[in-house]
Amino acid sequence: MLLQLNNIFKWVNSGGQRIFLLKDINLNVEEGEFISIMGPSGSGKSTLLNVIGMLDGFEEGEYHFLDESVHSLKEKHRANLYKEYIGFVFQSYHLLDDLTVKENLEMPLLYKKFKGSERKAMVADMLDRFNIVGKKDLFPAQLSGGQQQLVGIARALISNPKLILADEPTGNLNSKQGEEIMELFKQLNEEGVTIIQVTHSEKNAEYGSRIINLLDGRMI
Amino acid sequence: MIKNHFRTAWRSLLKNRIFTSLNIIGLSVAFAVAILLSMAGFFDLSYDKFHTNSKDIYKVYSMWQNPKGSQVSVSHSAPLMSTIMDEVPGIKKATRHLQQEAVLTYGEKEINMDAIWVDADFFTMFTFPAIKGKMEDPLEKQSDIVITEETAKMLFGDEEAIGKTVQILIDGKDQPFTVGTVVENNPSQSTLEFEVAVRFEKESHYSENKDEWGARYHDIYVQLAKDVAPSQFDVATRSLVNDNFKERIDNAKRDGAQPDADGLFYKFELLPFLDENFTTFRNGYVEVSRSNTYLVLGVAFLILFIACVNFVNMSIARSGERLKEIGMRKTLGAKRKQLFFQFWTESLLVFFFSISIGLLISMLLIDDFKTIFRTDVSFGLILSPVIILLFLLSVLMITLIVGGYPALLLSKLGTIQSLKGKLDVSGKNRVRDALMVLQFGIAILMITGTLVLRSQLDFMRNKDLGFNKEQVLSFPLDGKKNSYDALELMRNELAGNPDILEISGADNNLGYGKDGSVSSSMFGFEYKNRVINTNYLTVDYDYVETLDLELVAGRNFSREFESDRSGAVINEAMAKEFGEKDPLTAYISFSDSLRFPVIGVVKDYHFENLDKTIAPITMMMSRDYDLYYAYVKVAPANLAKSYEAIKNAWTRVSPNSKFLGSFLDENIDRTFRKEKRMTTMITSGAILAIALSCIGLFAISLLIVNQRTKEIGVRKVIGASVSNITFLLTKDFLKLVGISFLIASPIAWWFMKEWLKNYPFKIDLSPLFFVTAGLLAGIIALCTVGSRTIRAAKQNPIKSLRTE
Repeated sequence: MLLQLNNIFKWVNSGGQRIFLLKDINLNVEEGEFISIMGPSGSGKSTLLNVIGMLDGFEEGEYHFLDESVHSLKEKHRANLYKEYIGFVFQSYHLLDDLTVKENLEMPLLYKKFKGSERKAMVADMLDRFNIVGKKDLFPAQLSGGQQQLVGIARALISNPKLILADEPTGNLNSKQGEEIMELFKQLNEEGVTIIQVTHSEKNAEYGSRIINLLDGRMI
Repeated sequence: MIKNHFRTAWRSLLKNRIFTSLNIIGLSVAFAVAILLSMAGFFDLSYDKFHTNSKDIYKVYSMWQNPKGSQVSVSHSAPLMSTIMDEVPGIKKATRHLQQEAVLTYGEKEINMDAIWVDADFFTMFTFPAIKGKMEDPLEKQSDIVITEETAKMLFGDEEAIGKTVQILIDGKDQPFTVGTVVENNPSQSTLEFEVAVRFEKESHYSENKDEWGARYHDIYVQLAKDVAPSQFDVATRSLVNDNFKERIDNAKRDGAQPDADGLFYKFELLPFLDENFTTFRNGYVEVSRSNTYLVLGVAFLILFIACVNFVNMSIARSGERLKEIGMRKTLGAKRKQLFFQFWTESLLVFFFSISIGLLISMLLIDDFKTIFRTDVSFGLILSPVIILLFLLSVLMITLIVGGYPALLLSKLGTIQSLKGKLDVSGKNRVRDALMVLQFGIAILMITGTLVLRSQLDFMRNKDLGFNKEQVLSFPLDGKKNSYDALELMRNELAGNPDILEISGADNNLGYGKDGSVSSSMFGFEYKNRVINTNYLTVDYDYVETLDLELVAGRNFSREFESDRSGAVINEAMAKEFGEKDPLTAYISFSDSLRFPVIGVVKDYHFENLDKTIAPITMMMSRDYDLYYAYVKVAPANLAKSYEAIKNAWTRVSPNSKFLGSFLDENIDRTFRKEKRMTTMITSGAILAIALSCIGLFAISLLIVNQRTKEIGVRKVIGASVSNITFLLTKDFLKLVGISFLIASPIAWWFMKEWLKNYPFKIDLSPLFFVTAGLLAGIIALCTVGSRTIRAAKQNPIKSLRTE
């Protein structure tokens, strides 16, 4: 078992009213799964993903990640946990504009205080694996959307996370590029990485091994 | 349209309350300070300009060569003026001028007054308007005197002053004078100050000196005829010099003096009267320097500049937030001109508020300002149409440039570019960074200045001056009594008091006493076929003991040896001047038969201000010259009680004169007035500069953090810690401070080195000053930026990433 959500509730108070963002979510994720979260806009997909990614908190419920009780952890420990085990991929890539492809890949390793030689090896390995060696000295603005997302995924993977969280990874891409990215996810999943993606597209959802549907913060 | 501009500008300012208030606070403080400082500056520059003839009046000074180099003096002998009038063409008028206190008696009142002894032309050359009595040529009769309104009030109260007879103590005797004219009080911008003006011929030493070329004791002012160049004066006086100073010149040649560039050994030059307030005589040269005044104006300018930079930087930095608005307006059909005016109106509003508040603050603070900076400036003195016009013009220029530049930048943006919200920030960052480097450079410069000035001041205050300044008190021996008798009476009065250790007297003070008067007297004599010049001090018994001067050879004047009365005690510098192996074999010679042997040598002590090296000095006990100051050494305990005891004793000895005693350390402290004023100014300038720079930095950091939220979010998600992010954000600012430091330090070093050149006794300019200033600026900048960035770094990244 990789992670387990028990009776998760999340709400905000607005104008004296309690607005539920997540209602009674129960979810078990095993290692090696590929889960797609679907639902209309505002159904709480991204919120759920953020909760799983520990970027966002929740008001009620229990969250166990690799035998750690996330809900009882302090902010700092929680941050350490997700930094170690989780990689994030975003719809708008969120690469650092001022850094080259190589430097973008190197950044997480720098923050994790890897040694120079190790970093170089890991970055080279990743560039190789994603076939972007030729682009390593380019800046994000010089790449196409698909290539940028490729770099985004490579960056998410570089510190060997157990779980990849992808929030509409193909939302800004054309269909061909989107397909390539999905193929890549599938391949990564087959290599053993657990993936949870949020998507609008039925077709992309099919790549996953399990589909979770959300409506108004509730699993259906 | 204009109304609309104002309305939108007003709303926009309200919407951005933080920035608007930061701007207004910074600008109004800067304006207030700039107004006050420039008032003080212009006040200084307006010194003596109120005289109608001020441009044609000059002070005569002489320059001569002796073996040590050139010497300058403004003291002249009594016959010189008439000789100049007779022999030099182009001199319209001239007056001798001697400032010396005089005791005036009217009825029961006996007041010590600041008197000037001048020739009749004084009041036709200088503009001191008469308000009562004889209007034209008020000093025509030698028996008349001129007094100021204030003096009239002091002497006669509400009685009519004109025609009253007062007694003036001259040469120990009261002489009657008639008050002929009352003039307005001396304007505060006047170098010439007096309470009473008396004809020069009446002065006590006049009759013995009127044909004596050797006794130089007064100033001379001349008024040149129109179209006469002051440079001709030197040439025109050469024959006069050759006729009357031949012996001096021959002596100088014999002693090995080098002639000056013109091949002359003695000459007269003219110093423009308007320069007098800015003149120092140092190392044998006349230095006219208004740099102190320009420094004041410079600080005012820099402070204003920093505040303006803040305004520009904030406006530019905020342009990113306003892009959408600009694009929208453009698509609605706004022209560039209209946009420019809209933004400019905003600037105008900010400036209008800031200047109004600034003016208000400066009016509220002017009294404190006057006491702290020792200036007599007031709005009334400064408010001339020219100044008001200048002020309005500079305000207009500032609002035009400072307010217009960001407005121009904003209105220039292309429509599509602005609608997309894309701003090419990189180029503008350079302007901003450069401006911030400049700001912090100025701040670091002033901080360094503060540190160096303070240490030099401290150094001078704590320097061992060679005499006991803590336990010794001096006070002027004014009043009608003979000074030696007065001193003897004091000795008797205080005889039983165990706290009073020694009493003595001299004809000069150490430092500036409460009476504020300073003097120096010098004489030269022939010693073994060369001329030796020395400062001269008339002393009474026990002077050395009272001041704790250290004797290195011989003894002090002693009551046991009657012959000591015609002996001399000299300092080491003077002993060196004699060049004798045993200085006790040397003597002061007034003529071949009249020789005063040296009976003692004291260790060098600072009898002059600390910006001078220790010169030779000779103390003698001539009873022909009066003592002007009494010195009392008291026990270290009960200083206040001793002060009271001395004061009471003096009131009994001389009931009509005021006791103006003060301890020597206070006197010495008063000699640092100029330095203190400068230190206070630079310090407050530095504090303001750094505070204003930090307001700017704070605003910029706010904006930058906002601009970089997305980046901060990304970095956090991929593993950056709070400290990583904080470092990332502050690094850029610290880099700017670093660059400022590198630029400002050499400049500061140069300035400080130049300034310290004024002082023969000075601190070492250690690199520590510069490093401290840099670190201080860095730390303050860090604190300013820190709180904001840490907050930004702590923020939950999903907030900034939730853009989809």
